[in-house]
Amino acid sequence: MRQVYVIGIGITTFARLEYPLCEIAAYPAMMAMKDCGLSGVDHLYVANMGGGRVNHQTGLASAVVDSLSLTPAGAETIENGPASGASAIKQGFLAVASGLHDVVMVIGAERMREVNNLEVTDFIATLTHPLAEYIYGVTLPSLAGMFTRLYMDKYGVTARHLAMVAVKNQNNALLNDFAHLHQEITIEGIIDSPEALTNNPYVAEPLRFFDCCPVSDGGACVILASGDVAKRLDKPLVRLAGLGQATDTHTIHERQEPTDLLAVRRAAGQTFQMAGIKPADVDVAELHDAFTILEIVESEEVGFFNKGEGHLALERGETSLTGELPINPSGGLKGRGHPVGATGVAQAHEIVLQLRGDAGRRQVMDARIGFTCNFGGFGNNVVCLTFIRES
Amino acid sequence: MSVDLEKILRPVDNPMPPFPPKYMTIASGEEMVIRQVSRDEIPDILPYIESLMHVERDFYDIVAARVYAELMAYYRHRVQDEYVLVAQIDGEIGAVVNGRMVNADVGMSLHTLALRRGLRIGAHAFAAKMEYHIDIMKQKEVLIVAESPIGFRRWMIEYNLEKRFDTPHELGGVPSWALTRELFDRARETLVVGRRPVPDKLLEKAYAAILPPSDPPTPPEDLLAATRSRYDSTGTALMAQRWRQEGKV
Amino acid sequence: MAREIYAYKCRKCGHLHYPYRMVCKNCRANEHNEFDPVPLPKKGKLLTFIHLYSLPPDFEVPKLGLGIIELENGIKITGQIKILDPKIGMAVKGEVEIVRREGYDEHYGMVFYQV
Repeated sequence: MRQVYVIGIGITTFARLEYPLCEIAAYPAMMAMKDCGLSGVDHLYVANMGGGRVNHQTGLASAVVDSLSLTPAGAETIENGPASGASAIKQGFLAVASGLHDVVMVIGAERMREVNNLEVTDFIATLTHPLAEYIYGVTLPSLAGMFTRLYMDKYGVTARHLAMVAVKNQNNALLNDFAHLHQEITIEGIIDSPEALTNNPYVAEPLRFFDCCPVSDGGACVILASGDVAKRLDKPLVRLAGLGQATDTHTIHERQEPTDLLAVRRAAGQTFQMAGIKPADVDVAELHDAFTILEIVESEEVGFFNKGEGHLALERGETSLTGELPINPSGGLKGRGHPVGATGVAQAHEIVLQLRGDAGRRQVMDARIGFTCNFGGFGNNVVCLTFIRES
Repeated sequence: MSVDLEKILRPVDNPMPPFPPKYMTIASGEEMVIRQVSRDEIPDILPYIESLMHVERDFYDIVAARVYAELMAYYRHRVQDEYVLVAQIDGEIGAVVNGRMVNADVGMSLHTLALRRGLRIGAHAFAAKMEYHIDIMKQKEVLIVAESPIGFRRWMIEYNLEKRFDTPHELGGVPSWALTRELFDRARETLVVGRRPVPDKLLEKAYAAILPPSDPPTPPEDLLAATRSRYDSTGTALMAQRWRQEGKV
Repeated sequence: MAREIYAYKCRKCGHLHYPYRMVCKNCRANEHNEFDPVPLPKKGKLLTFIHLYSLPPDFEVPKLGLGIIELENGIKITGQIKILDPKIGMAVKGEVEIVRREGYDEHYGMVFYQV
C-alpha cells in the first residue's frame, strides 16, 4: 500500500447555519481546494447521517459533486452514524493507498437544526435497537446516563469530574473561531452554586445538561493524496499513518463488560499497530466527547491512562491545553459542536492544523503525532485514526 | 378635559405585592439579580427588545413583538395589573419576563425572553415568575402558553402542567395550561431557586441602570437567508460574505 | 392471554439470544430462522438505571425511568422501571405492558417494579 498524506483542509463555523445541507458540504471543500491549490480531485466521499431523514436529501454526494463542478469524478455518501466522518476518511485512505486514485476529497457535513430539538432527539435515537431499546423511549443520552452511573459506581468518577471535562472543553472552544459554543463556564456555576440544579439540570440522571454536547450544523473537509502529489506542495507533510475500526453488540445490555468500551480498545490498538507507535507517543488527541463521560473512558480504553484512572489524570490537569497530553484542544464535541456526519472529519481537521503548527492560540507545542477517535452509535462502531508529521 | 378622558381610558391597578429581588450564581460563575422594574424604566428596555423582532429563529420575532407591545402597554397605562421582572448580570440585561394578575386567585404568565443564551437564564427567570404568582401574590394558579417548542418542552412537559384547553389565554386566544399551587409545591425545589436578600453592591449595580446585552441573538446578515435556503438550492453564501469581511479568505 | 417477551434459542447449539439475530452468536451454524422462542423470565436484578428528563415527543410525562436488568437466566434486558428509589443490585420483577404509543401503534415491552 502507498503512503497517504493530508494536503488540504477546510471547515465551516459550527453553529446553527441557515444554509442548505449541500452548501454546508460544499463550502469547506472549496476552502480545502484553495488550501492545497488544486482545482480537481479524482474522487469524492461525503460523510452524512441525517440527509435523508432530516434534510429530505438522499444521495448527498451526488448533489455535492455537481455543486462543486467536480463531475465526472466518482462520489459516494458514507453513513456510519456519528462515525461517518472517520469512516469516510478511511475509504479515502483505501482509495489512495491502493493506487486506484491519486487525490481524494473527503467531506463531512450535517444540518441537524433544520428541524426542532424533539425531532433531532428522535433522529439520533434511531441508532438504537428498534425492539429492545427504541420502543422503551431510550435515547442516546439515556444510554450514556446508564453507562455513567455504572462508571461512577465502579471507579469513583463523580459529577465534578464530568463537569471538569465540560469546563475544560468549553473553555478550549473559546480559542477556536469555528467552535459552536463561545461561552465560558465554571465549576462554581455548574456544580457548586446553590442554583446548580437549575443551571445544570439532569438530562438523563446522573448525566446533566452541560455533560451533553450541543446540536450543531457544520461541515469539514480533508483532501488526501499520494506521496508524489503531497511532496510537490509547500506545506508540512502530514501523513495519515494508521487506521483502526472495531464493532461491538448493537444493544448496550449485551456488552460483555458493561463498563468497557471494547470497540474503542480494539480500534485504537489497530491504528497504533499500523502506524507503528505506542499510546505514549501521541502528542495531541481529539476524542469523541458527545457526553463528557466518554472523554474520560476513551482516554483509558485507547491506552493513554490505566482503566479507571482517566478521571485522576484529568484532576492532575494532564489533559488540559497546557498538560502533557492535551485532549480536545479544539473544544471537542462538547465545545466545538457535533454535527454528527461532520465530526470525524472535523477531528481530523483539528489534528492536521495542530501538526502543521497552524492552530494559533490553542497550538499544542511540538505536536508531531496526533490521534482521533470517532464513536458510532454508543460504542458499537468505532474508527480511530493516527496522523504523523513527517517534516 | 384630557384629564377626564385619561381617567376613562386608563385602567385602575389593583394592589399587587412587590417582587422581592433575589440573586443566583449562573453557569458562567457570574452572579445574576432578578428584580422588578417600574414603569419609568421601560423606555430603557424597549430598544433591546426591538432588535429581537428581526430574529426569525426560535420564534424570537413573535415573542419580541408581543413583549414590546406588552411593555409599551404597561408604560402607557393601557393594561391592568401587569408586572415586569428583569434578570441582570453585572447590570447587563439577561432576560425579561412579564405577566398579569387576572384576579386574586388566577395569574396569567405572559412571556419569557432571554437576551443571553446558553446559560439557562430563561429557566431562572421563568421560575422567579412562578414564585411571584404562587408564593408572593398567593394565587391559586397561573395560566401559561408557549410559542416555541423549546418553551413547550421546558414548561408544559417538565412541570406536568394541567391542560386548560377551554380557557383561552390572553396571547391570541390559544388553549392554555395551568400551574396549580399543588404542581408548584411538588416542583418547589426547581421553582424556588436563588437567594435573598441580595448583597448591597449587587443590588446597587442592578438598580443603577439596565445595561445593553453584550451577546444578544442577532439576525443573519441576509434577512432572507432563513427562508431562501428552503427554496434556493444555491444558497446565499452568507458564510463567504462574513469571511471576506473578516479578512479570513 | 398474557403477553411475553421472547428470547431466541438456536436449534443447533441451544444458545439463548435476546434480542433476535439472524446468525447464532455461539455456533454461527444455524439455518435461516432456525430459532425457537423462549419466554423471558420476569425476575431479575437491576444493574444500572437512569431517570430521563429529555424525552422523545410521544411521551407526555416529565420523566421516565429506564434500566438494564439481569434476568434469572443470565439474559440482560433494557426496560422501563417504575421504582421510586432504585438502587444498583435491587431485586426487580417485570410485567409486559404498553411502553410507547406512536400514533395508533402500541408497543409492548417490559416494565420492572420493585420486589
